[in-house]
Amino acid sequence: MLLEARGVTIRFGGLVAVNHADVTIDPGRITGLIGPNGAGKTTFFNCISGVHKIDGGEVVFAGRRIDGLRGFQINEAGISRTYQVINLFRKMNVLDNVMVGMHSRLRQSFWASLFHSPGQHSEERAALAKARGLLKFVGLEGKAGYPAGNLSYGEQRLLEIIRGLASDPKLILLDEPAAGMNSVEKAQLDVLLKRILGTGVTILMIEHDMKLMMGVADYIYVLNYGSILAHGEPAEIQRNPDVIKAYLGGE
Amino acid sequence: MRLPIPEHGGGKNTAAVTVALVAALLLPTALTFLFGNDYPVFICCFILIYIIAVSGLDIVFGYSGQISLGHAAFYAMGAYGSGLLVNFLDFPAIPAMLAASILASAIGALLAWPASKLVFHFLSLSTIAFGEIVYQIITHSPDKITGDFIGLRSEFVNLFGYLLDRPGKFYYLALALAALFLLAKTHIVDSKVGRAFLAIRENTHAADGMGINVRKYKIVAFTVSAFYTSFAGGMYMHMVGYASPDTALQKQSVLFLTMLLFGGTGTLPGPIFGVVTVMLLVEALRDFQDYQVFIYGILMLIVIVALPGGLYGASKDIYHRLAARPATADGEGGTSDAA
Ligand SMILES: Nc1ncnc2c1ncn2[C@@H]1O[C@H](COP(=O)(O)OP(=O)(O)OP(=O)(O)O)[C@@H](O)[C@H]1O
Ligand SMILES: [Mg+2]
Repeated sequence: MLLEARGVTIRFGGLVAVNHADVTIDPGRITGLIGPNGAGKTTFFNCISGVHKIDGGEVVFAGRRIDGLRGFQINEAGISRTYQVINLFRKMNVLDNVMVGMHSRLRQSFWASLFHSPGQHSEERAALAKARGLLKFVGLEGKAGYPAGNLSYGEQRLLEIIRGLASDPKLILLDEPAAGMNSVEKAQLDVLLKRILGTGVTILMIEHDMKLMMGVADYIYVLNYGSILAHGEPAEIQRNPDVIKAYLGGE
Repeated sequence: MRLPIPEHGGGKNTAAVTVALVAALLLPTALTFLFGNDYPVFICCFILIYIIAVSGLDIVFGYSGQISLGHAAFYAMGAYGSGLLVNFLDFPAIPAMLAASILASAIGALLAWPASKLVFHFLSLSTIAFGEIVYQIITHSPDKITGDFIGLRSEFVNLFGYLLDRPGKFYYLALALAALFLLAKTHIVDSKVGRAFLAIRENTHAADGMGINVRKYKIVAFTVSAFYTSFAGGMYMHMVGYASPDTALQKQSVLFLTMLLFGGTGTLPGPIFGVVTVMLLVEALRDFQDYQVFIYGILMLIVIVALPGGLYGASKDIYHRLAARPATADGEGGTSDAA
């Protein structure tokens, strides 16, 4: 397994937003996380990615405890993410957004940059080439010089994904990547997710679009009121009476 | 749909830089000839010194988005530190400037350490307090080593036996140093470090998610910024041969900030535009010395109300319009080419 969350718990005042959640993510797969609004899915992402400190449990990633690490350290460790509410550097251009995403993989020191050393120079050139490659990967190469905030909603989602991929993560957390996309973009996303998987990156994804989720996920966890209600293959989840009840009761 | 913004200036800039350089080299001779005295050259030296100081402020404020209302403290620490090293430890002027700025930036790093946790308003308050502390120390020094309210005298720069005792001589050193500091700024900005600064300015939360150690880079920005501004202070000390305690006053910090905002933040030319115009304005309005802070206030208001990208941002907009391109109407003005 690549990531194992054991008994992850977090409280906001009296509210237990995530309650003893056990989640296991196997490498090379797309794992889905679903649940009604307010179930605690995004909060669970925030627990793994170091935005929140958890109140209980532990998170082990690639054989190493990562709970308690700060956000930037978790990115360094090999987990990157996108956000439910788009969280780009809006005034920076598209290319620079991807370059920032590479931060934890660039070795250049402050002094090497100050003196513009040959090593720094060639690393920058390689980074630029890699960033352009990522833009091409999602068809944004024509938008490299645009401020990120000027892209369409769907394009911004794609940019967040490649900004996350720029740090060569082992695992990427996608929080509702299809939200705000039109049906064409959703169909393309379906293909894109599989291409990402093909590059050796494991995916954990939150998504409300059940058609997309059931089509791409290898395994699904269902969160309800902060607790894991069920987990299994998509077909099992769709038949699970508890899940059906939670969704009917929840929405 | 907007046109893509060009990513980098490229080749045509070299011609402009060459012309600017030649003009800069001939300037002292031309000015002295025109005015019959070297006061205008003295002002030019101050312009170069302030370009370094304000470029430093730009690194912390324009690029990493942290406000400092106490940068005069670094300017004064550079000036007094360097003067004291020369007077009491017999340092030559240039090593003294360097040592004093390293010391001042170390103090800057210590200040930034707790301050990097503070949010915007508290940071600005703590930088004001810091400026006040430095002023008090300078004006109430043990054994009056800093000259207290009278100020501190020190030596001119001696460059391999050649004494730079007139503005017309110091000017070329100042020009070379300003060019060096500006070049260093482009290197810093065009790197992983510079992108981290911009990322922090725009969105700390996302920056953290992208693997950027936000506190570390805030401290780095503050330290580099302190180095620039304190080095400028050292230059001032050894250009004039004297530093006044007024340099540590809040008024001086406000001047730096006015120059930066008026010229435009987050760019290389912004501080240059700002320093030149504000200096010339202040000189033109010399008869109204008592109202200087009032004038700064008006300049800031102009920027806030009418020139959000500063003078440089506005001139770029005009240039784009004259070049008959479809107007990009980029509200952010100067910031776009910082990225
Ligand atoms: N920082 C916070 N402080 C206090 N309460 C929070 C915080 N973050 C989330 N919550 C609460 O935790 C619960 C879970 O929220 P969360 O955003 O994780 O839900 P979600 O499953 O992602 O929902 P959605 O599908 O609507 O995105 C909600 O009741 C929310 O109000
Ligand atoms: Mg959510």
